Amino acid sequence: MTDAAPEPGQPKQHKRGTASKAAPVERGDVTFIQVPIPPRSAFNRDRPAGLLLQAQVKHIHHAESARLPKEKRDGRSPEDIHTEAEAAAYIAKVTKLLHPQRRKRSKPKPAGNTGT
Amino acid sequence: MPPGLDALKHIVVLMMENRSFDHMLGSLKAVNPQIDGVDGTQWNPDTQGNQVFVQPLAQFQGQLDPDPDHAFPAVDQQIFNGDQSSPRVASMQGFVANYFQQQQDVAHSQKIMYYFTQNQLPVLTSLATNFAVFNRWFASIPGPTLCNRAFAHYGTSFGQVGMSVFYPHGKSIYERLQDAGHTAKLYYFDQQSSSLEVVNLLQHQPQLFATYDQFLADCKSGKLSDYSFIEPNYSDHDSDDGESLASDQHPDHNVQAGELYIASVYNAIQANPTLWASTALLVVYDEHGGIFDHVPPPACTPDGYSAGPAATGLNYTFNFDRLGVRVPAILISPWIPKGTVVGTDRVFEHASIPNTVTNQFIGPYPVATPREQAAQTFLDLLSLPAMRTDSVVFNT
Repeated sequence: MTDAAPEPGQPKQHKRGTASKAAPVERGDVTFIQVPIPPRSAFNRDRPAGLLLQAQVKHIHHAESARLPKEKRDGRSPEDIHTEAEAAAYIAKVTKLLHPQRRKRSKPKPAGNTGT
Repeated sequence: MPPGLDALKHIVVLMMENRSFDHMLGSLKAVNPQIDGVDGTQWNPDTQGNQVFVQPLAQFQGQLDPDPDHAFPAVDQQIFNGDQSSPRVASMQGFVANYFQQQQDVAHSQKIMYYFTQNQLPVLTSLATNFAVFNRWFASIPGPTLCNRAFAHYGTSFGQVGMSVFYPHGKSIYERLQDAGHTAKLYYFDQQSSSLEVVNLLQHQPQLFATYDQFLADCKSGKLSDYSFIEPNYSDHDSDDGESLASDQHPDHNVQAGELYIASVYNAIQANPTLWASTALLVVYDEHGGIFDHVPPPACTPDGYSAGPAATGLNYTFNFDRLGVRVPAILISPWIPKGTVVGTDRVFEHASIPNTVTNQFIGPYPVATPREQAAQTFLDLLSLPAMRTDSVVFNT
């Protein structure tokens, strides 16, 4: 089933820490609400990986050990991973093998990615 | 059948991380007294015997660090304030005392009582006041993330009350739909964030997965599956597009990044008129993350499992017969009356998700756990005789 949307659809990319607060604006039946964006200081790739990420790393490691041949495994154990960036790099490496997909250049991502 | 249900083709669930109802939506009691939030009178004792009242002083980041404990024993203390007798009353008086244990700092422990103002969370509060907010949606287990998220996928955690959930058996909602000729997709944010909770499915059924980029594309092209489950970004990391900020709102990740993520999911659906008319979006949190809520969790239908003292870390066996702490939950659809507040007489939990999706797309499913079969469904909230023409758009 295809219910294609008209252009334009997605929010624009934005820079962290540059938006101003604004009151909701009503235009006809539509209320536009400005969403504040986090400061640049919010990002910390060196934050210690919390219990949640540690658990995720263990699950990914379990899948890696069960699914991938030895020569394709990363070789690190969950205990070797300390920061969020290290966890993300390891998780990405295994995920790419478990769930290969073509990388396609998409439009800039909205929240949760660069510029949020 | 109500026309909204007749039109319904897609259900989308976005599950965020570790925030309680009062913390995120409690301020809305001042806007609508029907919303069972906070009014400044709710309190907990601190370890010096002082009354610590709820205050609208929550910050987006840096306040709940270290991450409040929300393992099974900690949540037991938060709910029962150390009372180990039987029977015992869920007083919701042990949050401050429990948080004190992590740093032995009285002033810091009081921050567990802080909540956000409406203006701080324009996305979540706008959705809550424009669509349907649930007064009684609880985590499925008084414990941490993974066992709770399991209920959203399987309607049970297979007896687990912790983070070691490896799903030895059981059929997920995605496999059920697949077997019945329907479509389902799990969208994780990117490969660095991946799937948090169902790595078993990623391992064995990778065709069920896609990235958040694909969700945006599927919304735009109108090719969304019958059922979609969306995971946020769980870490600050570098990606091909630059710095990627965690959007899960798990302490101590930035709450505003999560607001933007919720807004982007909503906007993606709302921007496609055909999809908007035929989709119900549920935004829900997996558990309270150790943060104060004032509503005692109720009893529930057991699911046939039990967790002994070795698993609970306490001197009793948990029979999965009561729920976890209350969490924010909002159902969004143009077929829902504006300002709907789902009353305190209707109790929901994460098993409501597979039960609702199964009922909508498959029908009776007798092999589901008794717990799931007893869980309330929520699509009756799409009750309007005609679709609303008003809408909210978030400028991100």
